[in-house]
Amino acid sequence: MNAQSPVVEMNNIIKRFGGIHAVEDVSLNLYPGEVVGVLGHNGAGKSCLMKILSGAMGYDGGEIKIQGDAVEMSSPIDARHCGIETIYQTLALADHLNAPANLFLGRELKTRFGMLDDRKMEEETRKALRSLNPNFKNITEAVMNMSGGQRQVIAIARAIYFNARIVIMDEPTAALGPSETAMVAELIEKLRERGIGIFLISHDMDDVCELCDRIVVMKNGRKVGEHQVGEVNKDDILSLIIKGELPDNWVPRNRTTV
Amino acid sequence: MTSERTTEQSPPPRARSPFLFWMNMTGDERKDLVQKFAALFSLVVLIIAFSLTSNAFFSLGNAMTVSLQTTSIAFLGIGVTVVILTGGIDLSVGSVLALSGTVAGLLVKAGWPVYAGMGAGVLVGTLCGIINGLVVTRLKLAPFIATLGMMMIARGVALQLTGAAPVSQLGEAFGELGNGSFFRMLEKGANGLPHMIFPGVPYPVVLMVIMAIIVAFVLRRLSIGRHIYAVGSNEEASRLAGVNVNGTKMFAYATSGFLAGITGIILMSRLVTAQPNEGVMYELDAIAAAVIGGTSLMGGVGTISGTMIGAFVIGILRNGLNMNGVSSFIQQIIIGCVIIGTVYVDHLRNRR
Ligand SMILES: Nc1ncnc2c1ncn2[C@@H]1O[C@H](COP(=O)(O)OP(=O)(O)OP(=O)(O)O)[C@@H](O)[C@H]1O
Ligand SMILES: [Mg+2]
Repeated sequence: MNAQSPVVEMNNIIKRFGGIHAVEDVSLNLYPGEVVGVLGHNGAGKSCLMKILSGAMGYDGGEIKIQGDAVEMSSPIDARHCGIETIYQTLALADHLNAPANLFLGRELKTRFGMLDDRKMEEETRKALRSLNPNFKNITEAVMNMSGGQRQVIAIARAIYFNARIVIMDEPTAALGPSETAMVAELIEKLRERGIGIFLISHDMDDVCELCDRIVVMKNGRKVGEHQVGEVNKDDILSLIIKGELPDNWVPRNRTTV
Repeated sequence: MTSERTTEQSPPPRARSPFLFWMNMTGDERKDLVQKFAALFSLVVLIIAFSLTSNAFFSLGNAMTVSLQTTSIAFLGIGVTVVILTGGIDLSVGSVLALSGTVAGLLVKAGWPVYAGMGAGVLVGTLCGIINGLVVTRLKLAPFIATLGMMMIARGVALQLTGAAPVSQLGEAFGELGNGSFFRMLEKGANGLPHMIFPGVPYPVVLMVIMAIIVAFVLRRLSIGRHIYAVGSNEEASRLAGVNVNGTKMFAYATSGFLAGITGIILMSRLVTAQPNEGVMYELDAIAAAVIGGTSLMGGVGTISGTMIGAFVIGILRNGLNMNGVSSFIQQIIIGCVIIGTVYVDHLRNRR
């Protein structure tokens, strides 16, 4: 896998808010078909790093390359042109609009005469949502009246509908029930098979160990660890998250067991 | 025979289908329907009440008069609704209409043809809207502040340009837009005096209907309309979804300015005089119309049809109370109560 060239290269990214170093000199790669877990304590800078990649947040230093080309990520539209889709931690839905309007927000389907094609959008949304949650009803209801899980499903559907090459998921299963979480796990598997690169932010250690190929740990804006998932166990990851370093006398776990 | 049968047969399906319709709706659809009909219902109640208390009220002639009087509130209300939908507010429309009207009047006085002078007036209004939009999107000032500033600036410019004096003797053509009407039918009576068969539909009323339909179409069927609702609903989410948030806001403020310009030239045309003092406090009527029609000041919720109903509620209240000899002071009190009552309903609706 690593023989391929990376789809995303983030080099020495810096983001500061006044005195707060939200992201400090972080470099990170992502390969096609790879799932990289991004971990860290609350406020470690995970969301900031991902927002920078998705064009939602400006950055103060560093460079971003998509498939080898340096790009200026100055707006979400730039990121979209690079094939990057994002599920934001805040879900980023327009509450008074319904599911189809949210799914196609900013890229509405239109009829030949340039008018909104609501019927087509509704149809497509129904398909997209059913594939994630077969019980999804009332899709024409304003999303403010939907459950947290349903809202999350809409945010996920929006990220995968448009054939992204890179998907960023910021705590995508935070509000989901067990069956929906399993559905997302399945979905990640499917996306990986299609060669899509995925950044997965999660606080759930089991999810991360199960779904990811590689993990990156952040602490106070810095990257403190980057490992293939087999090299570390949960205690090692926990140690990285809390102390910012591996336990003393650590050796790659897969080497000792074999 | 046939008519008897139809009247006999029709009640069951008629009675049942609205009921089924009601049963098939979700709770929110029901609430929205109630909200919508609440405004419409009060409109109907007003019409019935005034018809009973004043025999001159319920006539075609008075219907046209009310419609004509309502056009200003409706034009301004439509524009303000678009701005409020984006989560903003436009306090400047009353002053902008005065500026647009006086510019049109001064230019016509200076020898411009009427259509050019009026076109320039509308352009000035649109320009004021664009400046509002720029202040909101580039200087990032709160819409309340930005348009409050414009409210004073536009009024000041209008007063300065005219020396605070009305510009009159603008010629008959200047009064055509505000005073003319379609399908006016007169008949020479037996005594030789003209007798009116149909009062005609005033041009401003026709224009109001056209504008309402166009703006409603833009809001419902075009992506810019969808973006207006989205920006008002969640600006950050819209930005993240790739919506041109600033462009959307600019469009809203420009639309409001444009409609204020139209209102200005129509009002001045009705008076055949450019009045720099015209339209004081009209912005509040416009906002009231929007709010009575169910527009939420928080943004993201509201319709043009609602605002039209709101405009007519205010227009009919004024007209009917006048006909009943209610003093303008009492009128203010009543309209104030209506606004508070309807905003309370709006509040109840949004609290869920
Ligand atoms: N818009 C902002 N303005 C100022 N400071 C910010 C802003 N956004 C984030 N920060 C700061 O940047 C730091 C990193 O925040 P970030 O949201 O990336 O954390 P996180 O790792 O995603 O945390 P969590 O697990 O809680 O989601 C925090 O200290 C936060 O206070
Ligand atoms: Mg976060």
